[in-house]
Amino acid sequence: MNNARKNKLKDKAFRIWGISCTLVGLILLVIFIGNIVIDGIGRIDWAFITNLPSRKPENAGIYTAMMGTIWILGITCIISFPLGVAAGIYLEEYAKKGRLSNLLEINISNLAGVPSIIYGLLGMEIFVRTLNLGASILAGSLTLSLLILPIIIVATRESIKAVPSTIKEASFAMGATKWQTVWNQTLPASIGGILTGVILALSRAIGETAPLIVIGALAYVPFAPQSPMDEFSVMPMQIFNWVSRPQHGFITNAAAAIIILLIITFVMNGIAVYFRNKWQKKIKW
Amino acid sequence: MAEKNKVVSNINRVNQMDLEQNNAAISSDKALGKIILQAKNIDVFYDQFQAIKGVSMGIIENTVTALIGPSGCGKSTFLRLFNRMNDYIEKFSLKGEIIFDNKNIYAKNIDVEQLRKEIGMVFQKPNPFPKSIFENVAYGLRIQGIKDKSFIADRVETALKQADLWKEVKDDLKKSALALSGGQQQRVCIARTLAVEPSVILMDEPTSALDPISTAKIEDLIFQLKEKYTIVIVTHNMQQAGRISDYTAFFYIGELIEHGETKQIFTKPVNERTENYISGRFG
Amino acid sequence: MNELKIISAVDSDKKNNMTHLDIEKVRLKKSILEMMSLTQKQLEKSKIAFLEKDNELAQEIIHNEKRINAMELSIDRDCENIFALFQPVATDLRFVISMLKINSDLERIADLAEGLAAYVIDLEFPISKTSFELTKTSEMFDITISMLADITVALDKEDTQLARKVYKKDVELNTINSNASRIIKDLIIQDTDSTRRHLFLFSAIRKLERVGDHIKNIAEDTIFYIEAEILKHGQKK
Repeated sequence: MNNARKNKLKDKAFRIWGISCTLVGLILLVIFIGNIVIDGIGRIDWAFITNLPSRKPENAGIYTAMMGTIWILGITCIISFPLGVAAGIYLEEYAKKGRLSNLLEINISNLAGVPSIIYGLLGMEIFVRTLNLGASILAGSLTLSLLILPIIIVATRESIKAVPSTIKEASFAMGATKWQTVWNQTLPASIGGILTGVILALSRAIGETAPLIVIGALAYVPFAPQSPMDEFSVMPMQIFNWVSRPQHGFITNAAAAIIILLIITFVMNGIAVYFRNKWQKKIKW
Repeated sequence: MAEKNKVVSNINRVNQMDLEQNNAAISSDKALGKIILQAKNIDVFYDQFQAIKGVSMGIIENTVTALIGPSGCGKSTFLRLFNRMNDYIEKFSLKGEIIFDNKNIYAKNIDVEQLRKEIGMVFQKPNPFPKSIFENVAYGLRIQGIKDKSFIADRVETALKQADLWKEVKDDLKKSALALSGGQQQRVCIARTLAVEPSVILMDEPTSALDPISTAKIEDLIFQLKEKYTIVIVTHNMQQAGRISDYTAFFYIGELIEHGETKQIFTKPVNERTENYISGRFG
Repeated sequence: MNELKIISAVDSDKKNNMTHLDIEKVRLKKSILEMMSLTQKQLEKSKIAFLEKDNELAQEIIHNEKRINAMELSIDRDCENIFALFQPVATDLRFVISMLKINSDLERIADLAEGLAAYVIDLEFPISKTSFELTKTSEMFDITISMLADITVALDKEDTQLARKVYKKDVELNTINSNASRIIKDLIIQDTDSTRRHLFLFSAIRKLERVGDHIKNIAEDTIFYIEAEILKHGQKK
């Protein structure tokens, strides 16, 4: 068989392989979600959302866990977004390039891969004990911020790198300072990529349970947090807690809670993607 | 053989004398016009590599000076000395002075941002910002802190008119500059430089990425602009240098070989290398 | 200096349509027309000087020749510059080639006028009116002067019809001229003392004939650049 036919066959073969792989992922996801939805959709009602946890599955609700998740997410976002983006901008635009900055870049990427429980231990030592914040939402948020900071920094740097240097050159040639160039040209152009990175980072944060357990998030919290210094629980913890109970009712609760958690995640992603697309439209290289 | 070499070296020496006289004439002849930019004994190094060797040259006000030469001869590097854009290249160092407005622009206390408002630049590949046409042209004014809306609108209109683009875009200034054709984009870049009213405009091969019609439009534009501005243009297209420039400087491997009136360089170049380059024998 | 005058004379809208090359072409044409006018004056003066044996006028003509030579050099240089700087093609190319050749022809005409002036000074005694009448010298002068005046207008207005008229007028000139040698021979035989004078007259007539030829060339070059048509060497239309 000649080369042209071989190449065409290879092409077709990869296409089939690619579709199969994609389908496998999709099908598994559909099965998983479908399973959960079937299990839990019936359980969701207003009471479920507004009830406090209880020993009886019928009475248990996810209110406190949900509020805890929202609080944690909110404060983590407020802390990590500006810190991460500013660090990324500094490292990419201001820091002198050389052996030291290369070392820094590698290490930050490595930090993103460190097991999250290590962050938990770090957080407990520094925030809970040394700074005396106790097992509060603030301590939890600070810990999670540390966890997702490398992701945001790397995403920021990569987005900034993608802005054509000709744009920056033009801005400098017009007499703009470095900060003016960053604020007026680089940031607006890279905001899409930065937001994507932030979305990814926050999505990870929403699901991290281990560091929060170490910090001291409770499994059973009978009240919703009122301030950043309050104790708290989060939804993954609640779900984990319910799944380890013997009663079948709690399994259903867990499924329902997972659905709510997924909805929150999707909505969050949706909002961020909306904003990213809106800003991205203006930039067409 | 020795006789022949002697004759050849005599000719070279005579040429060298003409060259020095020529360059000296350009640098000092007040009758030709005021010298607005003066390079004195410039040496440029990238680490150990010397990119420019002992170049001295004067640019006369309200003229177009073309820098020509084969690739890699240092003409772009030399151009970028005037607005200190080489500062961003690592391992760049410079010996010598560049005098503008009675100051050496490489002195320690020079405000580089202010320098670049006086000496603007247009690049080879059109690089408008990913913003509207209006915002592109207004950028230079906004970064100076100017807030007066009508002042900015006036300057934008004047600049676009000077760049010969106003008629084509006046109905939709909010359109993204990236939606324009290549030639139009380059004129936006020119307008944005004009809006801050510099005295010198540096152009680094401004038409090499454009089609012939856009090129012709921009050449006409340059010819008109020299009434109010001083223009230094790097071009690898000799015919372009012939068409639009008053003075031409020929660079070769980092040295300034010949600098004089374009008419003279294209009809009676003093240096043999200049003649060979101009007639297309190398480069 | 000329450049600035031209730019200010053209209104601002038009200025935007004139390229650098257009401006140079306008300058060049102006220079040629100016040279034509100077040459015509030389020719007119040489008519008076020759017919009236006016030595002072003749000196003036010889003195002015320097100016015309300088103009010729300057126009040559301008053409060279246009070729070098603009690499013109098509009409532009034909235009510059024509201006270069017309420049040369004008210089030769002025040179011939100067030659006539030199004769005036060389002559010891004036030539008789009868001799002039018989050889129709005055008419020859008038024809060449009018040909030159006409071709100036033709070039200025780009009127190829007028240029063709001028081209044909040369025939008239040649006709008058064809009898000249016989008439002069008779005049010399009648009065051998006058031989030298009449030989000068003969040469002068030859010079005027050559002036006519040069003006004919100018007409051909004008038609060439406007219509890309070559009239010379029998390629007539």
